[in-house]
Amino acid sequence: MASNTLRRIIGLILQYAGLLAFMAFTTFPFFWALSVALSADPSYIWLFPDAFVPHDFSFMWFKRVFAEMPFMVYLKNSTIMSFWTIIGVVAVSVMAGYPLARLKFPGRGLIFAGIIATLMLPSETNIIPNFITLKNFGMWAAALQEHLHLPSDWNMREWVGLNSYFGAIIPNFAGAFGIFLMKQAFEQIPQDLVDAARVDGATELQIMWRVMVPVSIPSIAALTIFTLVNAWNDYLWPSIVMNSKEKLPLAVGVFNDLTGPFATSTSLVMAAIVMTVIPVLIFFAFTQRYFIGGLDGAVK
Amino acid sequence: MASVTLKGIKKNYTKDVQVIKGVDLEIKDGEFVVFVGPSGCGKSTLLRMIAGLEDITEGSLYIGDTLSNDIHASKRGIAMVFQSYALYPHMSVADNMAFALKLAGTAKEEIAQRVNKAAEILQITHLLERKPKALSGGQRQRVAIGRAIVRNPKVFLFDEPLSNLDASLRLNMRVELSKLHQDLGTTMIYVTHDQVEAMTLADRIVVFNAGIIQQVGSPLDLYENPSNLFVAGFLGSPKMNLLKAQLVGVEQGIAVVRLPKGVTLRAAVDAKRGKVGDEVTLGIRPEHLRVASMGEAGAVPARVDLIEHLGDHVLAYIEIPGINDILSLKLPGHTTELKYGDSIHVLFPEDDCLLFDSEGIVFNRVRK
Repeated sequence: MASNTLRRIIGLILQYAGLLAFMAFTTFPFFWALSVALSADPSYIWLFPDAFVPHDFSFMWFKRVFAEMPFMVYLKNSTIMSFWTIIGVVAVSVMAGYPLARLKFPGRGLIFAGIIATLMLPSETNIIPNFITLKNFGMWAAALQEHLHLPSDWNMREWVGLNSYFGAIIPNFAGAFGIFLMKQAFEQIPQDLVDAARVDGATELQIMWRVMVPVSIPSIAALTIFTLVNAWNDYLWPSIVMNSKEKLPLAVGVFNDLTGPFATSTSLVMAAIVMTVIPVLIFFAFTQRYFIGGLDGAVK
Repeated sequence: MASVTLKGIKKNYTKDVQVIKGVDLEIKDGEFVVFVGPSGCGKSTLLRMIAGLEDITEGSLYIGDTLSNDIHASKRGIAMVFQSYALYPHMSVADNMAFALKLAGTAKEEIAQRVNKAAEILQITHLLERKPKALSGGQRQRVAIGRAIVRNPKVFLFDEPLSNLDASLRLNMRVELSKLHQDLGTTMIYVTHDQVEAMTLADRIVVFNAGIIQQVGSPLDLYENPSNLFVAGFLGSPKMNLLKAQLVGVEQGIAVVRLPKGVTLRAAVDAKRGKVGDEVTLGIRPEHLRVASMGEAGAVPARVDLIEHLGDHVLAYIEIPGINDILSLKLPGHTTELKYGDSIHVLFPEDDCLLFDSEGIVFNRVRK
């Protein structure tokens, strides 16, 4: 009896110890950055454990970020690009995942295998083909503009070509991961629900948008968060495509402006990073409630 | 309202796998028909074919006078209630019920009026604003039925609608479904594996096995005059007692059979197509077996194996020496003197005995 209780206590301690260790492991970079950003005195930032406690507490570095770089411009760019990436990824994933999960057509297995196979390619292999494609997009847009005698200040080359928001986000729309996730989500929905909608007179598209998608909200929320984090932190591709400063997203902007040979301060970078992360955390807090129970009450 | 006519309906999943092997059936306008059979017999598949959720491989389906094989499910004038209820979890009860009408472009006032009327019939008016997850199983079932009612269908299809409910709720809903049928007078087709539901609800029962209709008839007719061994064994609880026997005499209106170990019994059936020496099966319902006193003519000795007191009646399981099958006996509730191990005598009244040939087909009863 007593040994049982003891065993349970030890088990609990081990569980908590494991979880706490994992939490420490995943969160320490953020807390380190936060502590450095809040310390006016930067002399402790490479010392352990002093670096984790703010010395000479102040918001000075945060204020300096706004002075040293156009933070709000970058924030606006990141927001625009992330928003449209989420819309694009969710739309493509839903519309590709639904037929793969629910419709029977020849070649379905092959198409799905092809989509999954793209997961095995390193993303760097896409850079050159995508770059050339975008460059051509820009040229075609410019040619179209000329052909239609549109005003030259429209500059359509930069709507869809290089140095455009469109170009910076479009390659991320068709992600195998999102398609896979939505396919799995749609497969989990009971067939009876689809049949009920069919008897009620819904077309395939109505079944998808009015029944399947609302029921899959938890999966879509997960995909949204995942896409947001990826798009928000996307560095390599935007840094290649974008060449004007006023179109850079935060990840590229912070790196370009605050690091490198003329970098002024590590504390400044940390303050910028903390401010970069916070919008994502806020978004996560607001969407968390959609993660639960989309199918509750549907069947049985 | 409409009749439903099935002519030579077949369903193949692949070339070799045939689940419905030719069904001919006429369901009259306003009739309550129950499809009953064991799991996998094809009854649900047939219902889904009528609904338009499964293709018909061969044969013709008429709803009313319209050939409906290739008409979309939503255009057939049917409404279906699923075993799992299949409520849309993201919509309120009212929206669930209104969904079909909205899709059909019905005017808002009419939708509201029809939803309210259906809700009144089912007494769920107070639930209209709730989401399905805030409802109990019985309430969800009502909503599912309400969703069917608002469409004013010509035919209601029910796919085992009560099997997810607990026993007492099932009983209530059964009574309500019966009432609903009386009030609406709409044709209803109901699939179940529960023979009690079949017996209590149906105007006519259709018994399926292995993709073939075994028998069609009123509940009592099927109970008293099963056309074959399958139907005899499927309907009734406890099951009909079935005993292997040999035909030893065919007289005018009487067949004489011998059980292993020499017990001779008589059944009031016309066994002229049988020959003496044929293997046959004798069937008798538990409530027809009688406890007799030792001296009575035709009394067979037996031993009591188990007694179950169920309040209104007593079930006795008995063994006849030399026969492997255990027979069940249904006795009045006050029969309390029997106990385990008692030696008794039982009587097989000849008018209540049924006889099946070696193929399982019944010999017709002779009514005196």
